[in-house]
Amino acid sequence: MEELDGLPNLRSRTVSDRHIFANEEGRFFKGQHDLLSRIGSNELSDQELKFLQKRHLIKSSKLVKHASLFAQARRKTNVEGLEYLILVPTLRCNLACSYCQVSRANENAEGYDWDEATLGQITGLIKQFSGRSLKIEFQGGEPTLRPDLISAVLDAGSHIPDMTAVICTNLQRLDEEILTIFNRENVQISTSLDGSLITHKAQRTQDDASTSQFERNLSLVLKRYGPGKISALPTVNPNDPPEIDSLVEAFVSRGFTSIYLRPINYQGFARKQHPESIEQSGHWGAYYSKFIHRLIARNWDNRDQVIEETYFSHCLNRIFKPGLDRHVDLRSPNPVGVDYIVVDFDGKIYPTDEARMLSRSGIIDLTIGDIATGWDSPERRALNEASTNADDPDCQNCVYQPYCGRDIIDDISRYGRIDLRRHETNFCKRHMSIFDLAFSLIYSNEDAVQYSLRHWLGLSGDSITLGESI
Amino acid sequence: MIPLMLPAVSDAEKPFVTRLSKNRTDSPWESWCIESSESQSVFSGENGLFQIVGPGIQDLDGDIVIVTPAAGNAERIIRAGSTQNSLLVTERCDQLCVMCSQPPKKTHHDRFGLFVQACLLADNGITIGITGGEPTLYKQEVFQLLETVLKARPDLKFHVLTNGQHFETSDISQLRQELFRKVVWGIPLYSNDAAEHDEIVAKTGAYERLHQSFDTLLLSGAKIELRTVVLQTNLNSFPALARHIAGLLHFIEQWSVMQLENIGFARNRWDSLYVDFRKSFNPIAQSLDVASLFGIPTKLFNVPLCHLPEFHRNFAVNSISDWKQRFGEKCLMCSKKETCSGFFEWHPAEMLDEVSPL
Repeated sequence: MEELDGLPNLRSRTVSDRHIFANEEGRFFKGQHDLLSRIGSNELSDQELKFLQKRHLIKSSKLVKHASLFAQARRKTNVEGLEYLILVPTLRCNLACSYCQVSRANENAEGYDWDEATLGQITGLIKQFSGRSLKIEFQGGEPTLRPDLISAVLDAGSHIPDMTAVICTNLQRLDEEILTIFNRENVQISTSLDGSLITHKAQRTQDDASTSQFERNLSLVLKRYGPGKISALPTVNPNDPPEIDSLVEAFVSRGFTSIYLRPINYQGFARKQHPESIEQSGHWGAYYSKFIHRLIARNWDNRDQVIEETYFSHCLNRIFKPGLDRHVDLRSPNPVGVDYIVVDFDGKIYPTDEARMLSRSGIIDLTIGDIATGWDSPERRALNEASTNADDPDCQNCVYQPYCGRDIIDDISRYGRIDLRRHETNFCKRHMSIFDLAFSLIYSNEDAVQYSLRHWLGLSGDSITLGESI
Repeated sequence: MIPLMLPAVSDAEKPFVTRLSKNRTDSPWESWCIESSESQSVFSGENGLFQIVGPGIQDLDGDIVIVTPAAGNAERIIRAGSTQNSLLVTERCDQLCVMCSQPPKKTHHDRFGLFVQACLLADNGITIGITGGEPTLYKQEVFQLLETVLKARPDLKFHVLTNGQHFETSDISQLRQELFRKVVWGIPLYSNDAAEHDEIVAKTGAYERLHQSFDTLLLSGAKIELRTVVLQTNLNSFPALARHIAGLLHFIEQWSVMQLENIGFARNRWDSLYVDFRKSFNPIAQSLDVASLFGIPTKLFNVPLCHLPEFHRNFAVNSISDWKQRFGEKCLMCSKKETCSGFFEWHPAEMLDEVSPL
């Protein structure tokens, strides 16, 4: 074999008896278990050599080297200015869910809404916004308790060419004033739907009246606007997950084809009432995998409709496509207070919604500023210095690093520190299991699996090989 | 078809550039219409009186023309309101592509000075094409034109069609300038197989040289539109070409997959070059899927929508310029006509009915 320049710097992992290799750009293939040692000792077969050359995995020219640097850079999050605002006009809520992620306030409590000054500062910020595109998410508390504040914010952004808003609501209240807001073309509705109404009642609404109120209102908005304007998200208790088909059916029967399965977040009330959620043990991974397999079977049985799990589709797409860095839960670096911020009911600014909850729960103050004085603060800089997986020795050896991210707020929340060995963290374990699942499916020989995967990747159903092998 | 070259009479000594105006104007760069009928118009400007035969002033108002008295013509070089204007800077070329739509000529008339003037008069914000022949045979002149115009007119953009055989590492410092962010280089690559590419462009070593240029352009931060015409000879290489692009040339702005034009060399070689997508689309479908899997923005050009399977229709763009777009009679019944590319004006009449209205 001839001496070669630029032999590939590959990482490897064995998934379901298959040996996966990937370079620092995240380009992967399947090969023989001893490939790395044979690269080291210069004993590649002609076939292996030809594959690596043809795929430009051997850096044999300046173009290959430079293109690789470019590809590595594109894997890094590239954000400049603000494009996403999460607003909490009120902390008050008309429900008290067992795992509420925030220390909510009672519906009739006082002093938990934006005051005049705060509202003025927020609308001022939006009026001065000079970018093309801004997304505003109204969180709570229950934002529909203050439709006047929502309208004031939306009116302030009327000059922005591409402004969209999402109102996260429990759909308990639905009157003319709320519907007038929902009627706006650029407004989306987001709600929680934990599966069957029995599950939903047990976890959220608690009593029959509230449950049927929710169901009536969900039907009403679905009928009025269609499923395209509405998204519904289930929260799942990993230790007592709902039966998969009834969960899926609760969504599909209402016209939803994307289901975003979320385990109970270790935040707010959940810390006390669901202490087991500090670690998403094997239960969650097993349930999640079963859920994905069930979707695959359903999609194959009924080709008229492709159902997806939103986060799995996102992870799958990140394996192949660089630049998908607008999902703030999975990216690296994961800068805080740059492209998005959370403005709380009292005008304080947090890097993420989870950071707001941690601060409200008295665990740690993660405020990075306030709406009156801004958020270019030492606190923000301190968080951003650590908010990357680039320099972590565990990550540097991980085959999934280019697809993965970093969530220091989650580390702080669970462990009170950010310097744990990466593979000991819940974030790492959860994503290792998702990416392992993804790769076991990518290399599955089953037609049904390939069919769903291709559709989740936005391809036609019967065309190309997703995972190459030497 | 909209005529771009019109007969003209002028007493001026040299060719000149002017913008035609319906109304009286004092601008030294404009000529105003003093008389017009349906078949001719007379204009007055800095270069004296001249007459243009053909469409009346309504159609010519705002057009930028090069009047060449000796040849007796006026060329509508940048038409008002059109988004598709090209400057043919030379007809020489150092490749001889098997399907060339505009076969090269040996002679060259240097008109860069006139082109610069024409560009400076262009409407605000338009994109101006530069084509050939091979423009970069006159690389310094092309770079100079781009720099001069873009310095004076930062609102404009350029699209330069080039075979990418002449970029040198010494060009990087020039191409790195901010103003070149307004330039897209449209570059053909026909195969990931060097021999196959070289044979299609009839130049040994072209593939290797092109990839050296890609390195230069990458280091320059240049914007590249990669273009591949579908031929019977490269059809089966398309899936591998798509993987080549995803693995190596992923820094491009767009991959344009183009159906063959029935003009130039392709006219006489139609039967041995043309791929009927209604019968053989699978390699193209695969390559579109590979490209979209890896996030390479990809578009299909010059393909009527009804020639495509439904899933891949959203790759098609209504790409054929207004002045050379043509539809068959059956197309009148089609509900998708508005978004369809249709055919080129020069598409053989007997083939225009190879459609199935949607």
